[in-house]
Amino acid sequence: MEIVTAQADSTQGQFPILDLLGNLRDAVAGRPEFAELATCCSEAWSRMVQIVESGQTFRASDVEWLHALLTRIQLLAHTSPSSATAPSGTPPPPPAAPAPTSEPAVDADSLPIVLNISDDGDLLREFITESREHLDNIEQGVLVLENQPEDAETLNTVFRAFHSFKGGAGFLNLIPINRLAHVLESLLDLARQHRLTIDGPVIELILHGRDVLKQFIDEIDGQIGGSRPRCPILIPITDLKAQVASTIERTTSGQAPVPPAPSQESAATAAPTPAPAVDFFATPPAPAKGSQPPAKSDSPTADTPPAPRQAPSPEGAGNKNADQGAMIKVDTGKLDSLLDLVGEMVIAQSLVGRDLSQLASLDPQSARNVAQLGRITRELQRVSMSLRMVPIRGLFQKMARVVRDLSAKSGKKVQFVTEGEDTELDRSLVEELADPLLHMVRNSMDHGIESPEVRQAAGKTPGGVLTLRSFHQGGNIVIEIEDDGAGLNQERILRKAIEKGITTAAAANTEQQIFAFIFAAGFSTAEKVTDLSGRGVGLDVVRRNLERLRGCIDISSTVGRGTRFKLTLPLTLAIIDGLIVRVGEERYVIPTLSIRGLFRPQPDMVSRVHGRAEVVNVRGCLVPLLRLREFFGVGTSGNPDGSDDGIVIVVQNGTTQRCLLVDATLHIQEVVIKSLSDMMARKNRALAGAAILGDGRVGLILDVNALVQLEGDTLSEAA
Amino acid sequence: MSTPAAAPASRIAASLAGKYLTFVLGDESYGIAVLKIREIIRLPDITAVPQMPAHIRGVINLRGKIIPVVDLRARFGLPHAEATDRTCVIVMQVTTAAGASVPMGLVVDDVEEVINLAADDIQETPDFGSQVATDYLLGMAKIKGVVKTLLDFDRVVTEIPVLDTSHLSTSR
Repeated sequence: MEIVTAQADSTQGQFPILDLLGNLRDAVAGRPEFAELATCCSEAWSRMVQIVESGQTFRASDVEWLHALLTRIQLLAHTSPSSATAPSGTPPPPPAAPAPTSEPAVDADSLPIVLNISDDGDLLREFITESREHLDNIEQGVLVLENQPEDAETLNTVFRAFHSFKGGAGFLNLIPINRLAHVLESLLDLARQHRLTIDGPVIELILHGRDVLKQFIDEIDGQIGGSRPRCPILIPITDLKAQVASTIERTTSGQAPVPPAPSQESAATAAPTPAPAVDFFATPPAPAKGSQPPAKSDSPTADTPPAPRQAPSPEGAGNKNADQGAMIKVDTGKLDSLLDLVGEMVIAQSLVGRDLSQLASLDPQSARNVAQLGRITRELQRVSMSLRMVPIRGLFQKMARVVRDLSAKSGKKVQFVTEGEDTELDRSLVEELADPLLHMVRNSMDHGIESPEVRQAAGKTPGGVLTLRSFHQGGNIVIEIEDDGAGLNQERILRKAIEKGITTAAAANTEQQIFAFIFAAGFSTAEKVTDLSGRGVGLDVVRRNLERLRGCIDISSTVGRGTRFKLTLPLTLAIIDGLIVRVGEERYVIPTLSIRGLFRPQPDMVSRVHGRAEVVNVRGCLVPLLRLREFFGVGTSGNPDGSDDGIVIVVQNGTTQRCLLVDATLHIQEVVIKSLSDMMARKNRALAGAAILGDGRVGLILDVNALVQLEGDTLSEAA
Repeated sequence: MSTPAAAPASRIAASLAGKYLTFVLGDESYGIAVLKIREIIRLPDITAVPQMPAHIRGVINLRGKIIPVVDLRARFGLPHAEATDRTCVIVMQVTTAAGASVPMGLVVDDVEEVINLAADDIQETPDFGSQVATDYLLGMAKIKGVVKTLLDFDRVVTEIPVLDTSHLSTSR
């Protein structure tokens, strides 16, 4: 049920009323006890359509008619607290309407959501995917609005997001979600009509609402995915709704005579059985058109986002709307098969192209054709590789929210600056990076940037600056997190490190080494454990995550001036640079990132320990040696002492090194990592996966981490 | 049909009726349901994967996908045979114990034909006693006087790890 205010000489409010009548009519249709009400609604709806279609404003007579209509509907609905429409440019309804509605509304809100996963599974999944997008849009939009409250385009985006949310939720009968989205939508509608200024509290309210909606979505997602028990979802929204409602009320009552449509949702489901409620909400597409902005100027932008940009730049950089318009969703499985096939095509093409020089003398025309095919193939490969790449913008925007919340919580004023948002990286990497980056940003907020008082005492501006920067560098992507805070205090870190037994006072540590201590497990220099950080787990986790992503982290810091963390990561998780080595008849791939050096060993460099395990003297350090030939049991193991007929590769993981003896090194190649079947991966942990080499055969990728760590036992047992 | 014992047996046979691809391994002929087969390819270069049980020959590159290959001879304890022109790999879609459907290749000596088996042609696997494990046998078919063994490939290939992990852990 809605209370709709209408005013003479205005078109505002027409659509909501129309909508409402339509809904009401549908809701009561087919229920004999409401037959009269249904007829009445039906008539009223037709008349409203006429009014709306005439494009005219409400005339005084129409308002009077609406008023009468309301009274009649109320009368008819009196048997059950069903619905009422109150054109309240006129006095009577308010006292009547709220009274019966407020109570049932609470009930409906706290109605738990029971998912019907078997029937609605697909729909729910789709709803979740869409909702996540909407939630992202909302978050990003609101953060923009915080700085530019008048940005009509953004306002519309946020409004539309809530609106779609509402529609989807209603369709799936997720009533609390629908309700919440509805009040928030109403709030934004006011803002769109320039009747509400988007200020701090309002932003806070919207963000809070968005978070609650996210809770719902996460819960539903979890239940569908099976990661959470299937039970009714109950997340209280009543308080939040009341807050929003009171904000709306304040706004509308503040501008006394009150024109258009601050529609406040109340007891739609207050009808005696839940059934009509379903019908009531089952018409989301209609509202989509129906409550389209009375403010006419807004609608063109709403309907035609892709149009304005006829020629979007190839990178899809610039305009965000153009991006959205040009996007399609593709199953990642399809994408992967495409990449596989393109990879195969490149191999096949290179086989054909190898004979090109011979062909050229015999049949120049064919040679030209083959060369042309080669160019197309390479271009195709380049484009298909870029399909998985997405701009880092989304990730940065998530951080904007974090910074905002943290700065509100801690009372530190922080200006958040992002650079290089269009830098592209692999989609899977974006997901993996979210957590580490979150920790880093939190860390900078908590430990880096000082409180305004401290800053002023140090002669700095009270507001700190936190910069997230991203760019490509030599086949890697670099993400920098820079703050202009207190900087890292070497002395304090060193003292703490000694205290924790990570290092000794005697050890001479370079600046970089000292800084690196902050990534040690359990290390925290924060004087107190705060809500934000200080438990000493964050950076430890960050380092581990980054290592898993084959990234590394550099720190530069000046006391009193600030700190800069520089994360260097591969562009994609799917491709690595690998050194192809030959062992017996087989070829293996060793990721170049973990290779520290290679050399041809002299016999006196190798010595045996206990007559079993071998160690190599690498520039004074003794490093255990692993003969891959024997370890993998490929080929015949040659002369056991003739360790000089191969090449030793020193690999490193973390701080542990190991020497691998291979027969020959072949070349370095970029390879696409493919997983081995589960069964194989479980059985041989020394393999990280497989890759297709230049000639189309399969090469196995060694997992240096596993080789370095677990070999010890296996080796000694095997020996 | 009249006895309770016979009823389930014939039901099994009826549910097994359908098209089968027959292939040769040593002197014997086996059948697998065609619906599970994706394609048959000539024996490609196989990359050996170290530390795998003997019957896992390695992995192959099937148009960009990496697929494990099982040597059925080794799996069934037959002596190793050199590859001939007729040796080929049957690529099948295998359902693992976890329920995932993964492609997997089988090296066989030769493929014969696709035959249509009616329920009448199929007999339940006889009990060989303890000497022969029959879990992965669906049944036996008699075609033109020849007995062909019908295999349940999901079990042939996916039950292997269970068997071999124990074998591995004792030997290593």
